Amino acid sequence: MGSVAALAVAGLSKRYGATVALRSLTMRIVPHEVHAVLGENGAGKSTLVKILSGAVQPNSGTIELAGQPYAPRTLLGARRAGISTAFQELSLLPNLSVAENLLLPRVSGTRFWPEAAGSITRRAEAVLKEWAVTDIDPVARVEALSLAERQRLEIVRALSHRPRLLILDEPTAALPDATWLFRQVRRLTETGVAVLYISHRLSEVRELCQRATVLRNGESIDTVDLAGVKDDQIFAMMVGRAPERAYPAPVAAAAGAETLIEARGLTTGRLRDVSLSLKSGEILGVAALEGQGQLELFRALGGVGTHEAGEVRYNGRPVALTSPRRALRAGDGIAYVPEERKTEGIFGGLTAAANMSLPQVPRIARGGLIHHRLDVAATRTAAEAVSLADRYFGFRVSDLSGGNQQKVVLARALMTRARCLVMFDPTRGVDVGTKQAIYTMMRGFVADGRAILVYSSELSELVHLCHRCLVIYGGRIVADVGRDRLTEEYLLAAAHGHGGAAPLRAAS
Amino acid sequence: MSVDQRLGEAGRMPADTRGTSRLSGETVTIGVIFALTVAMILGSRVISPAFGGWNQAETILYLASFLVFCSFGQGLVILVRGLDLSIASVITLGGVLTTTWLAGDNGDLVFILPAILVVCTLVGVASGIGVSLLKVPPFIMTMATGIIVYSLCLGVTRGTPRGYPAPVLNDVMRAELAGLPVPILVLAAFVAGGFLLQSYSTYGRRLYAVGNNPAAAHVVGLPTVRVTIGAYAISALCAGFTGIMLASYANGATLRMGDDYLLPSIAAVVVGGSSILGGKGNFLGTVGGAILLTTLATILSALGIEQGWKTIVEGGVILFALMVLREQVYEALRTWMGSERR
Repeated sequence: MGSVAALAVAGLSKRYGATVALRSLTMRIVPHEVHAVLGENGAGKSTLVKILSGAVQPNSGTIELAGQPYAPRTLLGARRAGISTAFQELSLLPNLSVAENLLLPRVSGTRFWPEAAGSITRRAEAVLKEWAVTDIDPVARVEALSLAERQRLEIVRALSHRPRLLILDEPTAALPDATWLFRQVRRLTETGVAVLYISHRLSEVRELCQRATVLRNGESIDTVDLAGVKDDQIFAMMVGRAPERAYPAPVAAAAGAETLIEARGLTTGRLRDVSLSLKSGEILGVAALEGQGQLELFRALGGVGTHEAGEVRYNGRPVALTSPRRALRAGDGIAYVPEERKTEGIFGGLTAAANMSLPQVPRIARGGLIHHRLDVAATRTAAEAVSLADRYFGFRVSDLSGGNQQKVVLARALMTRARCLVMFDPTRGVDVGTKQAIYTMMRGFVADGRAILVYSSELSELVHLCHRCLVIYGGRIVADVGRDRLTEEYLLAAAHGHGGAAPLRAAS
Repeated sequence: MSVDQRLGEAGRMPADTRGTSRLSGETVTIGVIFALTVAMILGSRVISPAFGGWNQAETILYLASFLVFCSFGQGLVILVRGLDLSIASVITLGGVLTTTWLAGDNGDLVFILPAILVVCTLVGVASGIGVSLLKVPPFIMTMATGIIVYSLCLGVTRGTPRGYPAPVLNDVMRAELAGLPVPILVLAAFVAGGFLLQSYSTYGRRLYAVGNNPAAAHVVGLPTVRVTIGAYAISALCAGFTGIMLASYANGATLRMGDDYLLPSIAAVVVGGSSILGGKGNFLGTVGGAILLTTLATILSALGIEQGWKTIVEGGVILFALMVLREQVYEALRTWMGSERR
């Protein structure tokens, strides 16, 4: 391998206040390499990205870029030095057009007068074309794009800066299909560029990367050749203990289940005439490529969105799901777990305990004042169900890692005492340990006659978790797959609109 | 052996001090404000030997109580990402109603006082409906209700409010109980009640949630509209109460009597450590802010400084307080303390 490393990091550390985000990180990336960084949430991956991209400065340690000392103080400084980053929390400006976002620091260049719209569009078109993106309109506003399209835009922008080192932070979190990305990454590495690749999806990492550095608690544990290690070994390095089985064995739904929720002919946005029924004791999955109408379905059932046509019954009675509050009070209750943790899930400035006990506030109060002991007891019950450690209760939620934030959101959904949970991609961007906790919680939840409707962008998760799985394509349910026929291949084919299975209508 | 190692769970996990260093920003702010106030009162001994004692403190608390009353409501509105610009007008409304409806008579006090408070609260309900249901920006909505209320006062009184508050009210403002002026006891009760409402009640919890993340509050199923209207209603209620107290204190009402409280009420909230952007704050901080501002004004008056300079100094102190009491300063402090420990 190469003599001069593309990137060499030694003894990097970073503290936020009294919090240690990075303890001691050492790693080397050579040119032409796609190098993975693996670790649970909170292991220090995001901090590493922020330091390398110039967003924050480390407390100690050295970084060398192609043999030169490198200490960026700003994002632009990092970019000038040859590092560009596609951030996990996309850094696009929603109110500007695709073209403006793509060219942003370079719109107008050095000229005094603003650049003509036509010229911006032409330049952006060329950039998009260069990176094989043909389905995104350069004049569209970013807020009108789907999450997957935004993610690709973020990546194209990073690619277009012609970096020496490209950082991709969870680039496939919202991408249903990674083929395009992998092709571009390979094109780039052929020219000698090095890529730092962060992802929770080990299969992807194996496909794309040669070596991986594993982080745990802010320290680099080891750098391994991916060809030489098994998944179990990597998990063990990440969590510092022997891994449990990735998925617990599925439990059969109880016989003689009653129908809790029945939707008929739901139509809204991209969603066309969708009918489904959710039974007690059941985890009903929904599989779909990005943007097939599943979000509208989930938001309508959670009372967050509206539906133009169709009817929902709960325990046989029609219910009006016009607000989340109404949804919680409909029948035995529907609690919605939103897809956007930051904007709709957490109350960042409040403590974890206050976040979790919020739905229970009337029940933990005496005479209008919060009763401390009831508050703690209620919070503890919910936290146990998602195995969130007590020591986090007093933390501000914005200080917690993504995985623990998600646990807080789920604990709060449990606190509503709703009988049905409607969860949109509850494990997106969370670490292995948290996923386990979420699976356990979901199984426990349905075990005593409650029910869950869940969408996941990871098919393997649906296959192992669900009693039944619906596939949505083009706004319609194209398959209703029972436990016995549930395989990833089957779901994937159906999700692409291929009738690997004869399309079935959901029937109760 | 570092503290961190001993705190670490079974020595395996790295110490995590995010939540444990509970020398939180809020606590520091409140401590600093009260310390600053006490220092200023003691320091004013330099000006005159009559100052710096309990008497002066009593006077300051007395004067500060009006600001504390209306700042509480302002604080709740700011907590839900709003701003109440109608406070000055509602104070005037409360004062004008006190003198015109009571007209110097003790007779129907028990009916008229609640009636005044209800009228004032309705002004707040109107603002709250405008903000939460009609989505009018708080700044515009409360300015509008404020102008309307003020114009009504102006029209009805034809420019000169007449009448006097009930003599009983006047007496109460001068009375003492157990060696303390009654208004100071009222202040103490108000602060205790306000603190409980904001920090320990179900309504308070919801206020913080709505202010911290309105979208999440909606998804969680909180009655965000009602919570928001409630904040504006309480603010107007407090302003009306301030008006009654002021009219009783001054034994009369003027149309401009609320003007001196609008901007200070916002300043008290913000100096007290609340975020002007909502979702964060503590009533005790606001109380400290109100007392601090009053102390400053009192001392500057005593120094005989001209009004212009006085205002400049006040503005400077507010700016200074805001810059020193920012989050970043605690972060730096915590980092420094953290690095000292290891």
